[in-house]
Amino acid sequence: VEFIILLAKLFVVFNVIMGLASLCTWVERKGSALIQDRIGANRAGAFFYVEDLPFKSKLLKFLLRPVFAVLRVLGILGIINTLLCDAVKALLKEDFVPEGMPVLLHALAPILAVAPVFIAFAVIPLAPDFVLGGYHIRAQIADIDAGILFVLAMGSIAVYGVVIAGYTGNNKFSLLGGLRAAAQMISYELAMGLTMVTMVLIYGTLSFYDIIEAQKQVWGVFLNPVAFVVLCIVGMAETKRCPFDLPEAESELVAGYFTEYSGMKFLLFWLGEFAEIALFSLVLVALFFGGWHIPFVDLPDGWLGALIGHAIFMGKVVFLSVVQIVIRWTLPRFRYDHLMNIGWKGLLPLSLLNLLVTAAVLLPA
Amino acid sequence: MTVIFALLSLLLLATAVGVVAFRNPVHGGLCLVMNMLIVAALFAMLNAHFLAAVQVIVYAGAVVVLFLFVVMLLNAKLERPQFRDKVYAIVGLGTVAVLFFSIFPLMDGAAFGKGAVQSVSLLSQAPIEGTTANLGRILFTKYLYPFEAASFVLMAALVGAVLLSHAKPQKKIEG
Repeated sequence: VEFIILLAKLFVVFNVIMGLASLCTWVERKGSALIQDRIGANRAGAFFYVEDLPFKSKLLKFLLRPVFAVLRVLGILGIINTLLCDAVKALLKEDFVPEGMPVLLHALAPILAVAPVFIAFAVIPLAPDFVLGGYHIRAQIADIDAGILFVLAMGSIAVYGVVIAGYTGNNKFSLLGGLRAAAQMISYELAMGLTMVTMVLIYGTLSFYDIIEAQKQVWGVFLNPVAFVVLCIVGMAETKRCPFDLPEAESELVAGYFTEYSGMKFLLFWLGEFAEIALFSLVLVALFFGGWHIPFVDLPDGWLGALIGHAIFMGKVVFLSVVQIVIRWTLPRFRYDHLMNIGWKGLLPLSLLNLLVTAAVLLPA
Repeated sequence: MTVIFALLSLLLLATAVGVVAFRNPVHGGLCLVMNMLIVAALFAMLNAHFLAAVQVIVYAGAVVVLFLFVVMLLNAKLERPQFRDKVYAIVGLGTVAVLFFSIFPLMDGAAFGKGAVQSVSLLSQAPIEGTTANLGRILFTKYLYPFEAASFVLMAALVGAVLLSHAKPQKKIEG
């Protein structure tokens, strides 16, 4: 039974990741169109009419009518386009490998860009504990002692996907993109680690579950708003999205580190990026917005409470993800020296100072 | 558990050899990453989650990325076998032999074979709760002076690196 519970957890968490990632994809495609006053993806499925079907049975056509109506709406909203057609197209495309480069490394890079992000989801609880059929269930795949550090570690492994991709591209654009990404991620990882340490000091634990439970009354964002702002900026830089998208800067580097990737491998980088957005939103909600807690509201016990808690959690996560996408489509890109200055001269001293002040405030207690 | 331990150890040795054996510096660097990650996995098997995470963050996440960064930035070419390599190989093997024979007497037969595996499985049954807190407590009480000394040495190295990397202040050109 324990094994079945574990499988169910894996299933749920995987679906949460894929759901969030595909939602992000859709918001990115259609939302960006809204922001830029375009129409955006609306082709696939938009012209499904029962009258076009190649058979004559009136009854079948009548029965299929509502199905087609739903498909049409989905098509006009661009959901079929972004989630179904793009994936099929990518699967059918030619898989191109630059000449003279090791095929294995070339295939390894997108895997390394996606897998660590997925693994990091294993330590984040998605709902409060509940009891089902006599089993005490914690909605988290692996409950380890150093949850936050695990997420940081997985984030630092994800750098290798980008670096290897830049190397196997075998051209200057890829290489420059890979180098920029490596420098950027290492620079911002310092501030990220320090800020997380500050929050760990406040909560006194490294486990995500205890951190969320500690925010039952007051959310972390009210305890240390500076840390929240710093972590927001750093997180945007770590996901390599505009305004921090120098590694892929399409106006200078074609597509940066994944210039030489096509088909499904390219889509994996995409997926990794959106999974990273989702992961980052999850971490932010867990650290600063009390996870499944709303101040002064008590959740009912049992599986119903867990379900409601999960819905609250996911609502906050979706909100933060959409905010990130809106930021990406609103702000222009930084210049490279600005990027490094912000990281080393702005955020790093700020987070060090924040850590010092927090420790000083906490010391008497 | 034992099987995983044996597999990891074999991989550890293989990647360690790979670091020096590959002609392409990038491949060598990637082997080094693998090596670090396997060491982290061994830590994790001993229930030292904190050490495992720190190993990944510091070594795999920062140090080796910088190695690869420099290798890629300088666009290092394939290493050609040279006469020097043979000299290095002989010296290296000699060093390894000396190290091995100085450690060997310390290992009795039991500790080498079955004993090591047993101690691994014993350690991995140790309680998980609060290993991070305990580590911190020991570090800041019993081992405070070595800890501070190590951080001082690192600080000195950091300042030295900054000092050396700055070019000597040029004399102002008159006129």
